[in-house]
Amino acid sequence: MIETANRLIGLRRLVLALLIAFGGMLGSTAAQAEYGDIVINNYSDEAGMRPAIFPHWFHRIRFRCKVCHADLGFKFEAGGNKINMLKIIDGEFCGACHNGEIAWSPENCNLCHSGKPGTPTQVHHSTVQKLVTETNKEAGQ
Amino acid sequence: MSKHLIKRSALVASVLLSGVVASSALAADIKAGKAVYDKACFACHKSGVMGAPKVGSKDDWSPRAAQGRETLLDHALNGLNSMPARGGNPSLSDDDITNAVAYMLDSAGLELPAAGGKAAKPAETKAEAPKPAAAPAPAPAPVAKAPAQKPKIQFNRLMKGRDEWNPPPAEDGIHDPDNEGTYMLQPPREGMAGFASGISGNRVDWVQTLDSGAIAPRYDRTDPNKKPFVMDLNIVREVKGSMPDVVYPHKQHTEWLDCSNCHPDIFIPKKGANQISMAAILLGQKCGVCHGKVAFPVTECKRCHSKKKKATAFKE
Repeated sequence: MIETANRLIGLRRLVLALLIAFGGMLGSTAAQAEYGDIVINNYSDEAGMRPAIFPHWFHRIRFRCKVCHADLGFKFEAGGNKINMLKIIDGEFCGACHNGEIAWSPENCNLCHSGKPGTPTQVHHSTVQKLVTETNKEAGQ
Repeated sequence: MSKHLIKRSALVASVLLSGVVASSALAADIKAGKAVYDKACFACHKSGVMGAPKVGSKDDWSPRAAQGRETLLDHALNGLNSMPARGGNPSLSDDDITNAVAYMLDSAGLELPAAGGKAAKPAETKAEAPKPAAAPAPAPAPVAKAPAQKPKIQFNRLMKGRDEWNPPPAEDGIHDPDNEGTYMLQPPREGMAGFASGISGNRVDWVQTLDSGAIAPRYDRTDPNKKPFVMDLNIVREVKGSMPDVVYPHKQHTEWLDCSNCHPDIFIPKKGANQISMAAILLGQKCGVCHGKVAFPVTECKRCHSKKKKATAFKE
């Protein structure tokens, strides 16, 4: 009995290790951008703009997660916030700080819209980016 | 490669088209152009943001007109620097754009040059490409030189050398090196210099960096003095198998986050009410909402699985 349990656990670990190692391998062939960089391409490509890139590392030096994710209402989902320039200019989302007072104003288009055209919405280097396909997304839910 | 191809075909198309437009209707419809201008172009060209040539300004427009019709229309149709392709409005037709350009030239007392005609001073044209306004961003990063290719001895192909960590935006594979704004962004290596080093993610141990006082991120958008509500409570989760149990520290989490970030949407605040598995975490659920995206990834097993089990007996 114990032997079977041991074997089972060993097998599970092996699968998990392979999953992680494989994920790492896939990641190593991709771009080298910062961990947690968010590419948002909900509307950009269509509008002929470069996709916007949000660098988490830069912002977390200056603000705790809570400020954006609790106070400003950013959902924990890349591309899930349906942000557009109108909302930003009205002071919602990025516009709560990017208004020329706390941070630079939204006229500086190409500081955010700086991604390679055609880059899909993603959390760069995330396990989700590496591992989630349409099939196992369903399985995980 | 495909980008080049698209660019080139767009160029060819626009040159061909502008030729057709020029022969059929040399005098572009200025009145129609004004309508297009009022709909789209005015946003930048009225006040001249990001170096856009202002409507009615001869100084702004004459060097552009001197570049000739093809170049002028190519930049309007395909974009240049801060000017997005078709002013960022893909629904505008080539004729619309041509008319709008003609209107703006007309407002400055100029005419849209005829096809093929290069105006007086071709030498000046190159230097007069629109320049973006000085952005109030950090100092521009030095333009990175391509590193000399030398053979690399690597112990493990999955491990990156220290010089490959935190590359500047232009070399990171997702920022567009053709975008001027890319070079105004602070390079990560400069921004995170002196932080407690980590073994994964940004190669920074954020918890230690915050504890040491190296950074003082605001807890409030505007008030720099507001202190976080820190809750010091460890939750121990027993796990199956021989893996050490998980200790979840509220302290380190509440330093960064608000209770409402996790409770009750991600975790029901009740013992035994949450089913958590590594598979779910790897797929971006539960702890995986942050860990594996912005907080340290699951490869750092021991940071969570940190409480050794007393006995290794198996239950039947």
